[in-house]
Amino acid sequence: MIELRHVTKKYEEGIHAVNDISLHILPGEFVFIVGDSGSGKSTLIKLLLKELEPTSGRVFVNGKDIGLISHRQIPKFRRNVGVVFQNFRLLEDRNVYENVAFALRVVEAPRSRIKKRVPLMLSLVGLAAKYRSLPKQLSGGEQQRVAIARALINEPKILLADEPTGNLDAANAWEIMKLLEEINQKGTTVVVVTHNMDIVRAMNKRVITIQKGTVVEDKKGRGEFNQYISV
Amino acid sequence: MWRTKKEEVSSISTFLYNLRQGFANIWRNKMFSLASMATMAACIFLLGVFYSIGSNFNQMVHDAEEGVAVTVFFEEGISDKKIEAIGRAIGKRDEVARYEFISAEEAWEDYKDIYFEGNEKAAENFKNDNPLADSANYQIYLADVSEQSDLVSYLEKLDGVREVHKSEVAARTLTDFNSLLTYISVGVIIILIAVAIFLISNTVTVGISVRRKEIAIMKFIGATDRFVRAPFVVEGVVIGLVGSIIPLVLLYFVYNAILQYVYDRFTSLNSMVSFIPADQIFHVLVPVSLILGVGIGYIGSRVTLKRHLKV
Repeated sequence: MIELRHVTKKYEEGIHAVNDISLHILPGEFVFIVGDSGSGKSTLIKLLLKELEPTSGRVFVNGKDIGLISHRQIPKFRRNVGVVFQNFRLLEDRNVYENVAFALRVVEAPRSRIKKRVPLMLSLVGLAAKYRSLPKQLSGGEQQRVAIARALINEPKILLADEPTGNLDAANAWEIMKLLEEINQKGTTVVVVTHNMDIVRAMNKRVITIQKGTVVEDKKGRGEFNQYISV
Repeated sequence: MWRTKKEEVSSISTFLYNLRQGFANIWRNKMFSLASMATMAACIFLLGVFYSIGSNFNQMVHDAEEGVAVTVFFEEGISDKKIEAIGRAIGKRDEVARYEFISAEEAWEDYKDIYFEGNEKAAENFKNDNPLADSANYQIYLADVSEQSDLVSYLEKLDGVREVHKSEVAARTLTDFNSLLTYISVGVIIILIAVAIFLISNTVTVGISVRRKEIAIMKFIGATDRFVRAPFVVEGVVIGLVGSIIPLVLLYFVYNAILQYVYDRFTSLNSMVSFIPADQIFHVLVPVSLILGVGIGYIGSRVTLKRHLKV
């Protein structure tokens, strides 16, 4: 599903953000990528979204070498990869419904599909009742749910979450992680970048640890959700 | 490739969505949009003012050009047939607007009217002996006085032509004035267009920087450049359209009011100069302004956006 082969990303200042990383994520997996600030986690997400080009090495997503994708093909590629950010990145002047529908409008979906899919997705993330609210009228957790609904509306095979609980309190963070777990159980490959080790430990999933741009540990999880660990 | 009905429906709904978004953008950025429209309107208004003044000057120069004639005199004892042949040769020339034959008798009548005014008895002495017997001629009026010298050298070579009279000073002055007018018009129009493009591009840049976050979100979700661009292009085109319609309407009324004022106030001018009617001016000004307005709006938004699409 996702494969990195000897990927290095060196910035112009000569800093190695990612240094010779090789890893393989299988379809349907739930993977945490952890590490301190500046360890190269966010650069990895940017490489997977083709927001950045690797200095060397190859990146495969959905079986495709994304280094071979042209600028024109990037939109189509990104439609198959849902993405959620720490700061939600919602359109502030549009309500919940429009924010989610936006992802369908972008792919030029017909109105009938938008009308059918958006309420369904809002129910899935538990926000059906708040479809007319503006982002600023929602809590952080609710805003992140909107972002998740938007990321999933086009039914991507992969969901990348870059610090999805970074701006949330413990209770909301927990709710979001449960939602991601549900999404994963329905077959979507989920990759979560975080530095919240309490959540990582509680979830018992595969954990890839990065330090100074290199993978220092890749630990398989037991898979079961330990909801009794406090976060 | 044929599009399916489903694809057609979705592209119509996308088009309508982008159209709505374009108008929403204008409303959301009221101040920027107003500034852009005002800039565009000011440029088109100035362009219109300059075009109207320039066209009227051109018309006056053209009227003056028509008064400048070249006179062709014939060799002594030339036959009528040869005179007719010379007339046909003149008529074939592109630079000739019109020409007329003045017989020796007509030439003498004209001369008499001017130089023997009040002394008609003295003129009677020449009753049977026309002093201008060899003065039959063709009066040629040119379409463009700058081509006078070409025509004169052609005429001088014609068989049966004795002499060609021309007004070189008048021709040169008018030609110089005409070229000066053309240079100034082109220069001012280029400056105005450049100023309009610069200001529109600046306004769009400010508008885009406000919405940079929105563009980045669109790109992450998988929007094509075309989809991101569409509302901004709609915005640019609408701003350009409104920004050119307003000054056109204004100019139409101002132009008519000025013409009316000049005709009423300076009646003596009426016989000397003629102004171009508003309809004739706007026949050119309306399409040019609309194309410029829409074109600048379109190009301004497209070029400016290009820099922000590489996410």
